[in-house]
Amino acid sequence: MNVQNWLRRLRTRSWPRRNREEEFKREFEAHLELETQEQQGSGVTPQEAHYAARRAFGNITLVQEDVRGVWNAIWLERFTRDVKYAARSLRKSPGFAAVAVLTLALGIGANTAIFSAINALMLQPLPFSAADQLVRIYSIQNGMFNTFANPDGPSALDVRDFSQRSRSFQNMVAYDTWAKNVSFGESTGQPEQMAVGLVPAAYFEILDVRPIIGRFFSEDENQEGKNYVAAISAQLWRNRFDGDPSVLGRKIRINGEPYSIVAVMPDVIPTWVEPGRHSEIWTPFPYSPDLWSEGGRGERGYAVLARLKPGVSLEQAQADLSVIAAALAAEHPVDEGVGVAVKRLADSRVGALRPMLYLLMGAVSLILLIACVNLANLLLARNSTRQRELAVRAALGAGRGGLVRQLLAETLLLSLIGGAVGFACAEIGLRALARMRPENLPQLASVGIDCRVLTFTLLVSLVTSLLFGLAPAFMGTRLDLVDALKQGGRSGTPGRSSQRVRSLLVITEMAMCLMLLVGASLLVRSIMRLQGQNLGIRQDHLLRGRIYLPPVRYTNPGVRTRFCDDFATRVRALPGVMDATVTTVYPPINGWTQMFVIPGHPVTKIQDVPAAQFGVVDQHFLRTLGIPLIRGRDFAESDAATSPPVALISEEFKRRYFATEDPIGRKIHIGPPPLPQIAPEENITDDVDVTIIGVIGDFKNAGLALAPQPQITVLYSQHPLVNGGFKDILIRTAWEPHLVESEVRSQLHALDADMPLAEAQTIDELVERQTGGQRFTTDLLASFAVAGLALAIVGIYGVISFLVAQRNQELAVRMALGASHANVLWLVLKQGLRMAAIGAIIGLCAAFAAQKFTSGLLFGISPVDPLTFAAAPIFLLAVAAIACAIPGARVLRIDPAQALRQD
Amino acid sequence: MPTIMTTKKSPSRAELLQGTLDMLILRTLLFGPAHGHQVAKHIQRTTDDVLQVEHGSLYPALHRMERKGWIAAKWEMAKDRNREFKYYRLTPAGKKQLVREESRWKQLATAVATVMRPAPGD
Repeated sequence: MNVQNWLRRLRTRSWPRRNREEEFKREFEAHLELETQEQQGSGVTPQEAHYAARRAFGNITLVQEDVRGVWNAIWLERFTRDVKYAARSLRKSPGFAAVAVLTLALGIGANTAIFSAINALMLQPLPFSAADQLVRIYSIQNGMFNTFANPDGPSALDVRDFSQRSRSFQNMVAYDTWAKNVSFGESTGQPEQMAVGLVPAAYFEILDVRPIIGRFFSEDENQEGKNYVAAISAQLWRNRFDGDPSVLGRKIRINGEPYSIVAVMPDVIPTWVEPGRHSEIWTPFPYSPDLWSEGGRGERGYAVLARLKPGVSLEQAQADLSVIAAALAAEHPVDEGVGVAVKRLADSRVGALRPMLYLLMGAVSLILLIACVNLANLLLARNSTRQRELAVRAALGAGRGGLVRQLLAETLLLSLIGGAVGFACAEIGLRALARMRPENLPQLASVGIDCRVLTFTLLVSLVTSLLFGLAPAFMGTRLDLVDALKQGGRSGTPGRSSQRVRSLLVITEMAMCLMLLVGASLLVRSIMRLQGQNLGIRQDHLLRGRIYLPPVRYTNPGVRTRFCDDFATRVRALPGVMDATVTTVYPPINGWTQMFVIPGHPVTKIQDVPAAQFGVVDQHFLRTLGIPLIRGRDFAESDAATSPPVALISEEFKRRYFATEDPIGRKIHIGPPPLPQIAPEENITDDVDVTIIGVIGDFKNAGLALAPQPQITVLYSQHPLVNGGFKDILIRTAWEPHLVESEVRSQLHALDADMPLAEAQTIDELVERQTGGQRFTTDLLASFAVAGLALAIVGIYGVISFLVAQRNQELAVRMALGASHANVLWLVLKQGLRMAAIGAIIGLCAAFAAQKFTSGLLFGISPVDPLTFAAAPIFLLAVAAIACAIPGARVLRIDPAQALRQD
Repeated sequence: MPTIMTTKKSPSRAELLQGTLDMLILRTLLFGPAHGHQVAKHIQRTTDDVLQVEHGSLYPALHRMERKGWIAAKWEMAKDRNREFKYYRLTPAGKKQLVREESRWKQLATAVATVMRPAPGD
């Protein structure tokens, strides 16, 4: 119904109200007069006749109201009256109102905040047209698909075959993102390492993103040599070119080569669509000829985006591709055991955040429940102290329905105010979150408040008020009028049933609070372990910077070695610097895995090929990082490009492959054995025999969460095949690490003005950043646990205070009869502690049952860690004891004589 | 909404079935326009005081039926008194409604009577 219509109806309905009221009065009075005359006819006094007539007519106001109800949209009138009355009665008890509103605000606020994250990550439509047609395609190995980690992408050849043989897709592209050195020319500032998207022309077409100015790449430009064109993001356009429309045709240098800008793309592609970091520059994907040779079929890892034909379902597409993948696996040994998975693009946006979101969702639901239980408790207590007021109203003719409605109006008002305050809190909270946003959770950037979130908040407020206001309202209005009125000024002893309900509520609260406490402390302890663990190096005063030596300028390994050595030497000479090393491996950065061969240990199966983490470094590696040399010798300056290649292995490597032998002096071959399943390009292949010269301490070389893996470290000067362009410099400083950063930059600038120093960070910062997602979840969950605890404590405190007030006289009698203070205090405490203990036991069981939800988020700690499971209930009981002791102490101040004299 | 109830004075007074008040009022008005008091008294008299129409039920019922269009109201001077009363009369829609309610009532009465027929053993 449209609003205007409705308003008009309302007006015509209530406009003649006055007249009708008058009319009814007239009608009624006429009849009253008649009745009086008739009564007089039976021979009583006029006065008596009048009263008799009145009695016969009953409760006139009620009749009047019923008649009015026939004509008017009476609910509206009643509703406004109820709300007005509710507001007045809440104003009269500001303490109660404040506690109730805050309780609700906490619960609703936390839920609004988390819901807005869920909304942004799971519910909001993607910013692309017909986005449900957009899918990603992944490779799966032997049926394994890890939804949480970055799944593998197929190889470009696979994608070509998928595209040619399938019938489900309009279009399909393989693309990639690379960190590259970008300079914008002299006038536009420092060079910068940026993520550059390597995308075929069809990429933007599939997403249906059109350039603001300029054009799409052409098919032609995907060929090597014709690919020197670039599209830039609107943000980059504004920041670097002031939004100058003549930017088209301008040149930027990417990895030392000039590219002309042909398009400015709108900022609509979310960060998570591109693998790795957010791209602000895109260039065509030059398919080099060897990409299309069969040798490249094992080169997996490309991101693949496709658009389904209209009407084709995900299942059909999956079935289509599965058949093709099976055929490819039969045709090519490299593809053996490799399957394919099609996932909606929208689903890939949550990615690794899914378990975290579920956990937080669970936590905030618990908070809301605790808040609601608290509210119910508050209302129960309030209604039972209002028995007399309600009884008076009932005696004056208010029906039970009216009383319930009245009490519900109060709850509704509380919920709405609570919801509004909660909403404001969520908004503030979200801003705070955006500021502390961990860099590895780019998805959170899109979290905000919109219509859906607002609706959610409103709905939650309404449902809470109905669900948790109704029962107390009904219980509060179950009145025995005579009893309630007879009790005079004294507050009644609460009925057994309402007392039971109240302790049941507290028990529930305690149980939920314990679950939160257990979850939060498990996460806190696991992040402490994660961050506090020994990396195997001296972690402090260590600065890291990344460089990339583009092949255009650094054409051969010899040039690259010379540049890196020069750079490291210059840095070592800086004041404040103690040592520096150029390396590809250091904790917590993962190196790459390298297969190798131990002479005399032939292998026949691919899964038996020995493999280790591999790093190419310079001679200062051990000294700079502070990794201990266990046996043998360190690299020396004499280990030059021309001398026999040498290697250091880690203790784990020795344990795994030289458990009983002395590895020093042994030769191993770096590179895979000649097996048919191994495509030549599949592994970054080095092809050198090296001599092991030393054993070094283990360090974290497979991420923070995994134990150190076997490690081989070699010198890049001796391994031209793996002496690539991506290198990192690590600098051991005597000063605060960032103090030397600008000097390091200028040294680099002096060597190559186009080369940026990227991601300059200390190792401490790096660890912090890598654990950012975990930390984020933990902080949130911990704050939720604190909130839940606060609410539960308020709950148990309220119930115990109420009980103490109720039992005031009983306790006074006990004291008068000789009970000691301690006895009486224990009486009160016992009641609270019993509730807390029962709640804690239930909570423990629930936490035990929930272990499979938490286990994935924990590190180095069992989801049923005995210490946590013991400490959390003890803590809860202790806090509950304090909460009960405060009202309990009031008992001690009871003067029995005075308490007994009261009425 | 409470329809009608008996006072506790007399055990012979019956409780009126839900919904029958409307029918009784319509039936009463079939004899010609009447004001509320007359309607109530008429029902009471014709049932020998077995059915007592409470004011609390009468007025809402009258107004409800007026709103539904079954009866129409007009203020008129009473013939025997110097006072204006609100006289209700049946509208064509009201007559139809009465027929409907009567047939339903007859159905119900027959049904009840069938159940309450003297048992074979009596």
